[in-house]
Amino acid sequence: MRRRTLIQSLAAAIPLRGVRTWAQTASFPGAREKTLQELAATVLPESLGRAKSDAIAEQFARWVREYRAGAEMQTGYGYPRVRYKPESPAPRYLEQLDRFGSAPSDLTARRARIAEELRAEKITNLPGSPDGKHIAADLMSFFFQSPEANDLAYNAAIGKDQCRTLKDSASVPAPLKGDANAAI
Amino acid sequence: MPRFETDICIIGGGISAALLAQKLAERKPGLDIVVVEAGKRLFDLENRMNYRRRSILYGENAWPGDFIEDQAGDGVITRTMAVGGSAMHWQGHANRFSEEDLRLRSLYGLAVDWPLNWADLEKYCCEAERRIGVSGEPSPHPEDKRSDSYPMPPMPLTYNLAQIRAWAERAGIAFYGCPQAKNTTAYDGRAQCQRCNTCMICPTGARYSPDFTYKRLLAEKKIKLHDQTLIRRLIPHDTGKTIVAATGNHLDETVEYRARTFIVASGYAWTPHLLLLSQSSRFPNGLANSSGLVGRYMTGHLFITAQIELNTKLYPGMNEPFPLISRQFFRCPADQPFVRHDIQIFESAAGRRPRLQAENGAMLFGDDLLNDWRSKTSRGVARVRMYYDAHPSRDSHLTLDPEKRNRHGDAMPKIVYRLDDAAEARQAATRQHIQNIYDRIAKANDTKILSVQESNYQDHPSGGCRMGNDPSQSVCDSFGRTHDHPNLFVPGAPTLPTGGCTNATITFAALTLRSAEQIAQSI
Repeated sequence: MRRRTLIQSLAAAIPLRGVRTWAQTASFPGAREKTLQELAATVLPESLGRAKSDAIAEQFARWVREYRAGAEMQTGYGYPRVRYKPESPAPRYLEQLDRFGSAPSDLTARRARIAEELRAEKITNLPGSPDGKHIAADLMSFFFQSPEANDLAYNAAIGKDQCRTLKDSASVPAPLKGDANAAI
Repeated sequence: MPRFETDICIIGGGISAALLAQKLAERKPGLDIVVVEAGKRLFDLENRMNYRRRSILYGENAWPGDFIEDQAGDGVITRTMAVGGSAMHWQGHANRFSEEDLRLRSLYGLAVDWPLNWADLEKYCCEAERRIGVSGEPSPHPEDKRSDSYPMPPMPLTYNLAQIRAWAERAGIAFYGCPQAKNTTAYDGRAQCQRCNTCMICPTGARYSPDFTYKRLLAEKKIKLHDQTLIRRLIPHDTGKTIVAATGNHLDETVEYRARTFIVASGYAWTPHLLLLSQSSRFPNGLANSSGLVGRYMTGHLFITAQIELNTKLYPGMNEPFPLISRQFFRCPADQPFVRHDIQIFESAAGRRPRLQAENGAMLFGDDLLNDWRSKTSRGVARVRMYYDAHPSRDSHLTLDPEKRNRHGDAMPKIVYRLDDAAEARQAATRQHIQNIYDRIAKANDTKILSVQESNYQDHPSGGCRMGNDPSQSVCDSFGRTHDHPNLFVPGAPTLPTGGCTNATITFAALTLRSAEQIAQSI
């Protein structure tokens, strides 16, 4: 039995909410891996191709698995206050994935369904980073706020937030080679 | 109760304390120096890449454990309480004040003059730049003449900043790269900057932070560092003239320090706070407070920020924390209404970020979203920020807040900033002057201003123990020695009578190094 499947079985068997949340986080997305991939293929750029959108879905799943509820957050400058990361978004994401699993197969219809859900949640913009409200918005945020997507949008090897040398900083960033989406 | 006896007891473990301890140890080898800091020591450079990663991905605190939950006050700008202080997470902007900051009264009839001259302070600015490690190029203004060159060559302008500089200078304003406390070459045992774009947490150590100074001093056994030790009271001698002890808590244990000299290097908030907390029947208003000015004249600078469009393409993310600076408006002509400010320009992605909803309300997904984003990338954006002079009134104060106490029952600080009458009266004209500069830059380039936002807090705060020659009008002299207690010093940020109009760390450090010189001579 795979580790994630085992944890998921434990999660179902144990009624304690905190333990279930922990297990759902640690095993995310569990049996819904294909559904998460379908969601990624629905909301991420089609031009990435299926293999890349699957890879981003896996990176996002890892992001969820490594989420630490209760971790200290940035305290802010000017208006500092101590805040802690809220509980894991995994249980909510799983419910949303379940709903998405029954969506029609047509891409336009799927997107319409997601748009409806986002409007219902009053989500009208991409969060600066995933905030746990809706998995579709958070998956898009995870990708579109990334350095890789920044390069793709500008068709240039900027490498935002990646440690680079000072040597080339005066030069215009080189265009992405070949297919711009290959950078992802 | 543990009792420690030492020559010098430095209370507070930030950048001022680090530089002070370093210089005293050099000037007076063998001197027993203890640095006492309320927070923890965060000396784990090896973990910073991971902290940075989690900060980017999850918004987690890049400096975990750098605060004390119940040691906080209203109006205090950061929660940081750790060895190294706020300079653990500063952006490394190492610009200086200018002569005008020290001569506001004699040049403009405003606020007060500082009780020292610029030529004296300037050489300590050079020393601070040398000790911290600053890369920079000389200002184009002759009034900014330096007595020594920067220790490192300037940070190279990115492609973005080169475009922005040409754009901004069309308005007839001279810009250059802002001096940075970041290594452009290997320096002082630390590596060259890798342009990681997250100076707030530098994962390589190329941006100076005081932990490097402390680690070296500790390795060389030149100081003792007592972290997680909160000093809560200073105890005067029976005569009231000198300070004989500092008491507090190491975790839950009571501790006492006895020293020949006490230096409270706890910054603008916690220095006056400790003096006020140290009240007794003999000193009902706290220590060093015969003037009644401890916690008064809290200062800093206000700022206005605009996002302005360029007509050329930029590539956001090349080196976002590194700005251009202009000091063209540091000197106000005597026949003009008073206004002083710097101008700093950063690359920006404002209005150029991916969005979920189009103007018509349609939700964007997939390639539609990406193409919408791409359609906005042909014209760049610059963030143009101006710090301006905002002189404090006597009623700009830090007081003890009886409603907010720490676990020991000590009242926490509450800061309320107020401008003096002249600064208040010219606020509208200052705003208009700054707006005119934004308009001038936009018009010179036939581009548009996207937004203008005014600050509602004082940045780079200072004051609370202002320096002066007259003991009835100040708390300490120009060396930070309190008028009331000759063995008690309050160097650096608290001593500033006015907060200038640009980043203040180099000035705080220069004043502290000048104090160290005096303390070394007098001990």
